[in-house]
Amino acid sequence: MSVAQRLKQVAFLILLSFYTAFVAGPLFWVTTMSLRTTTEIAHNPYALPETFHFEKFYKAWVNSNYNVYFTNSVIIVLSAVAILTLIGGMAGHCFARYRFRFRRFLYFMIFSTIIFPPQITIIALFQILVEYGLYNSRIGLILVYVAFQLPVTVYILESFFARIPSDLYDAARMDGYSEWSIFFKVSLPVALPALSTTVILNTILLWNEFLYAVVLIVDEAKRTLPLGIQQFMGDHLEDVGMIASGLMIAIVPVVIIYVFFSEKLIQGMTAGAVK
Amino acid sequence: MAVVNLEDLTKIYSGSQEAAAKDVSFTVEDGEFMVLLGPSGCGKSTILRMIAGLETITSGTLRIDGKMMNHIPAKDRDIAMVFQSYALYPHMKVRDNLAFGLKRRGFAREEINRRVTQVAETLGLTPFLNRRPHALSGGQRQRVALGRAIVRDPKVFLFDEPLSNLDAALRVSTRNELVSLHERLGATMIYVTHDQVEAMTMGTRICIINLGRVVQIGPPTEVYRRPVNTFVASFLGSPPMNLVHARLERGLDGKPLLRLGRQSIPIPERWLSDAEKGRQEVIFGIRPEDIFLRGSVPSYASTAGLQMEVVAVEPLGAETVLILKTDEIDQKVTARVGRDVGAKKGEKIEVQIDLGSALLFDPETSHVIEDR
Repeated sequence: MSVAQRLKQVAFLILLSFYTAFVAGPLFWVTTMSLRTTTEIAHNPYALPETFHFEKFYKAWVNSNYNVYFTNSVIIVLSAVAILTLIGGMAGHCFARYRFRFRRFLYFMIFSTIIFPPQITIIALFQILVEYGLYNSRIGLILVYVAFQLPVTVYILESFFARIPSDLYDAARMDGYSEWSIFFKVSLPVALPALSTTVILNTILLWNEFLYAVVLIVDEAKRTLPLGIQQFMGDHLEDVGMIASGLMIAIVPVVIIYVFFSEKLIQGMTAGAVK
Repeated sequence: MAVVNLEDLTKIYSGSQEAAAKDVSFTVEDGEFMVLLGPSGCGKSTILRMIAGLETITSGTLRIDGKMMNHIPAKDRDIAMVFQSYALYPHMKVRDNLAFGLKRRGFAREEINRRVTQVAETLGLTPFLNRRPHALSGGQRQRVALGRAIVRDPKVFLFDEPLSNLDAALRVSTRNELVSLHERLGATMIYVTHDQVEAMTMGTRICIINLGRVVQIGPPTEVYRRPVNTFVASFLGSPPMNLVHARLERGLDGKPLLRLGRQSIPIPERWLSDAEKGRQEVIFGIRPEDIFLRGSVPSYASTAGLQMEVVAVEPLGAETVLILKTDEIDQKVTARVGRDVGAKKGEKIEVQIDLGSALLFDPETSHVIEDR
């Protein structure tokens, strides 16, 4: 290897190291803080734990109702992601495969909502949920999450479904399968990379979602994890150690989901790049 | 097996003024291998898809074994289709690809296994039954697609350019396999292709299609030797038939002549009857293999000589293609001669044209002039 190539390699490694430190640093810091008390952190915010205070996780889980918030988050996010995947998949399949009246109009109507930030729609949503008795309910929040994420989900899945050769569907029709069966037996399995992409993206986004949750949920028993972490932030004091422990409890499921689906995510992102 | 009958079949897509297929009528007899041949976009795949039930029929009737099929869904027509892209289910193993259609039709598991095993053995797919399509070569995928059709034991097989994604060598061997398969099964098969070599070597009959209409139907050699118009004449054959503007006239001595540019060649008396009917301008059609160099004229040929200049020489190994021209004829003429020809570019040579194989076409209608 020439000197120039070696220098290039070294420079690239240095750059990569800085980037890794930049991205992984905060995560590592939160991890260390989650194992230290607030007092220890106040004395030296960046030190490594001398004693591992695992009891903080127990305290957060039981004493600070994290078990309730965690359960609520799991129920709400899993339900929303399941509904999004099913409805988004069906809608993406129909937009990609069929030509029907008002198709373009419907497509436009769905995607035009992407440009609206949540801050614009939150008041109207609040009023609608109150009117229908869904305010301060898990079902109401699930429906809001589905509506909020559906356009992007449909967009990603429709692009993928459109790339599936139409011959595959013709072959399934010749084999005797109905449109319904074709969707479940052919479209969905073939679109697994794209579905995994949307599952991961939706899970991460909705798991960390704060604005809709804080406005539309007031009961302590129905709060989600992002709201739970908020309770450690007072007007005059922030329990940094407990915030860090709470964050770790919130991060772990997302990491698990990502690790489980990441291979499919990469396939979904690169599928079709090479014929 | 089955008889497939199309009567005035027409397809007009919504929003389109032009018909993709217009008044298509032909019958595929029981056990016949019918090839639909035509250039890309001529409507042959549309016709095939209408037979399959994957496209609706705008007008006309489709019958299989006498039963009207216009409104019968694809799954109930007892037809199997092999697609150009094979259309294998990528998430299923070969075994499951073969069995997919049978499961839907409610066959017992033992029967499905029996059929899959038998077809896999026939097509040499047994070692690949537990592989997924992405782990197969193009030829193997093509055999799986074929196997998926065979395993259903349908009345009619449809093929939509199944060899076009294969390399040249594989195409030749697979072509032969398909012909053997047809002989073995005795099935009614309708095969779409734009490749004339496939059409000539595989079909019992060829149906030439152009601009959505049937132009000519007949056995391969008949369609090749007796094209009904200049389109068929120039579409079949490589190099295609030479089509040269000419004129029928009578010489000073009263003998019938065909004038090509400044040269005239003697022709049979009966050719001139067309001129006497008022048709003097014609298109003279002669295949490249029916033009000979002096000294290599076969005994069966009745020939006439033309002086030509060699424009280009294309040695192909087994034969040589000469591009020729003569004065006052804009078109160049192509001749296929032996491999050891020593002709050079710019050389003036005499060629012999086999009048027995030549054809005359009407320049206005492009149709062949019969009884010449």
